[in-house]
Amino acid sequence: MKTSRKQSMGAKIFSICLWLYALVSLYPLLWMMFYSLKSNEEIFVSNPFGLPATWQWGNYVNAWTQYDVPLFFKNSLLVGAGTVLVTIFCALLFTFAISRLRWPFSRSVRTYVALGMFIPVQAIMIPVVQTVNQLGLLGTRWSLILPYAAINLSFATMVYFGFFQGIPKEMEEAACIDGANIYQTFLHIIAPLVSPATITIVIYVFLASWNEFILANVLVGGVAKLKTLPLGVLFFQGQFTTDWGSMGATMTIASIPAILVYVIFSEQVERAMTVGAAVKG
Amino acid sequence: MKRYLSNPLAIILFITPTLGLFTIFVFSSILKVFYYSFFDWNGVGTAVFTGVENYSKLFSSSTFATANANGFKFALVITVYQLFFASIFAIAVSDRRMPFRKFFRTAYFIPVVLSVTVVCQLWTSILDADNGLLNALLRAVGSDSRQNWLGSRYGAIYALAFVNAWQWMGYQFALIVAGIKSISTEYYEAAEIDGASATRAHWHVTIPLLKETYFFCLLVSVTGGIKAFTEIQIMTGGGPGTATQTLTYIMYRAAFVSHRYGYGLAAAAVLVLECLAVILLLNYLFRDREAKQLRRLAGGKP
Repeated sequence: MKTSRKQSMGAKIFSICLWLYALVSLYPLLWMMFYSLKSNEEIFVSNPFGLPATWQWGNYVNAWTQYDVPLFFKNSLLVGAGTVLVTIFCALLFTFAISRLRWPFSRSVRTYVALGMFIPVQAIMIPVVQTVNQLGLLGTRWSLILPYAAINLSFATMVYFGFFQGIPKEMEEAACIDGANIYQTFLHIIAPLVSPATITIVIYVFLASWNEFILANVLVGGVAKLKTLPLGVLFFQGQFTTDWGSMGATMTIASIPAILVYVIFSEQVERAMTVGAAVKG
Repeated sequence: MKRYLSNPLAIILFITPTLGLFTIFVFSSILKVFYYSFFDWNGVGTAVFTGVENYSKLFSSSTFATANANGFKFALVITVYQLFFASIFAIAVSDRRMPFRKFFRTAYFIPVVLSVTVVCQLWTSILDADNGLLNALLRAVGSDSRQNWLGSRYGAIYALAFVNAWQWMGYQFALIVAGIKSISTEYYEAAEIDGASATRAHWHVTIPLLKETYFFCLLVSVTGGIKAFTEIQIMTGGGPGTATQTLTYIMYRAAFVSHRYGYGLAAAAVLVLECLAVILLLNYLFRDREAKQLRRLAGGKP
C-alpha cells in the first residue's frame, strides 16, 4: 500500500517533468510565432510572453513584400528539389550496379563512396568552394545542388544498398527470360520495388538541403539573388533588428514547410533522420 | 544470365554519375585539405611549400588551445544533456499505456526539423541581454539573476552548446525510441516475473541492450562538439574576444576572412583527425558487441 502510493507520487513528478520539457521544447517556437504577429511595443513592453493582443498580419505582408522572402523561398525550393533529383538519380543507378550487377571491384567501389560518411562537411568547405569556382558554377543554383548531392550520396547509396539486399535475385532472372534488357529491368522492375527507400531518402535529403547553412553561407552568402531561406533569415541580423515582427514572420515562413512535412509524415521523417544510425553503426 | 548482369556499358553508365560527383566534390576535397595544409597559399596565387609551418603556427597559437577546450566543453554539454534527456523520454514514450504519447514524441522531436539558422536567431533573441525573453522572464518572476548570456567570457560557450543540445536532443530521442522498439518484449516479461521494478528493468535490460544505439549517439554528439560551428558563427562570432572560437571557426576565419588558406586547411586537417580519433576510440570502447548477439538469440531484430 505504502509503496504503491510512493510510486504514484514518483510517477506524478515524472509526468510533470515530461510536460515541463515539452514546454521547453515547444515554447520557443510558439513564442516566435506569437511575436511574428505582434508590434514591437507588444514584444518588448506590454506583452512579451503570451498570444498577441492585436494580430499584426501586416508583419507577414512586410516580410513577403519588402524583404525578398519569396525569392529566398523559391531558391530553397529549387535547390531542395534539384538536390533530391540529382541524389536519387545517381544513387539509384549506382546502387543497382554495385548490388545487382556482377563485376570486379564492385565491393571496393561501394566502400569508396561509403567513406564519405566519415568526412565532416565543415572540413571540406574550403576546397568545395574552390572546386565550384573552378567549374564556373558560382552564381548559379548548381553551386549548391551539386555539392549537396555529392555529400548526400554516401548516405543515400547505403540506404539503398540495405534495401536492395532484400530483393530476390529471381526478379532480374524473370525479367531477363521475358526478354527485357538491363535498362528496362532497372526502370520497370527494380526502381519501383525500392520506392520505400526512395521516400526515406527524398525526405532526408530535402530537409537537409532546406535547412543547410554551412556550405550555403560560403557558396551563395554573397550572391543576393541565390540566397536560400536559412541565409535569408540572417539577413535581419544586421539591418532590420528593429523590425522584430517581420523577422519573426520570416522565420515562421522558413520553418512552416519543414514542420508541415514532419507533422504529415512524422513516422517517415523520424525513420529518415535516424536510418543513418543503422548504416553507420 | 551472367552475361546479362555483367553488361559493361550498363555498369559504366550506372556508376559514373555517382563516382564523378563524389570524387570531384568529396574525395578530391579531402585530399586537397591534407595536401595544401603544407603550403602557404592565399587561395588564388601560387602555393609555396612550407612543410609543417602551418601546423606549428596553429599548435602554438593561443586560440588553438581555446578552440580545443571549447570543442571539449561543447561535446561534453551536448553529450550529457542529450543522452540524459533522450534516454528518459524515449523510455517514457515507449510505454504504450502512456497518455498523450504522440504529442510528446512530436514535441520532443520538432526542433530537429527546424533550420539551424532559425534556431540560432531564435535563441539569440531569447538570450539577448537587454530585450531577451529569458531575462524578461527572470524579471517577471522577480529574480535579479539576469545575465548577459552570450557576452560572458566563461559562460557563452555553454550557452551555445545548450542551444545545439536543445535542437538535437530529439534526434537522439528518436534513435533511442527506434532502438527500444527492436528489443524483444520477452526481456521485460522475464524481468517482471523476477519481480524487478520498471526502473530496474530499464536499467538492467534496456540500456545494456541499446549498446549499438548509444555507440552511434555518442559518435554523433562527441564529433558534433568538435565540429561545432554554426551556433558560434551566427550567435557570437567567436566572441567575446576569442572566448567561443572553435577549430572550424578558426578554419573559416583563416580562409574566408584573412585568406590564409594553407593555415585554414591545417585546422581542417586537425579537425578530420580529431573526429577520426573519436571514432576509433569509441570503436575500441564498444568493441564487444555482445548485446547485438544477445538480441539476435532472443529472436529480435539485430
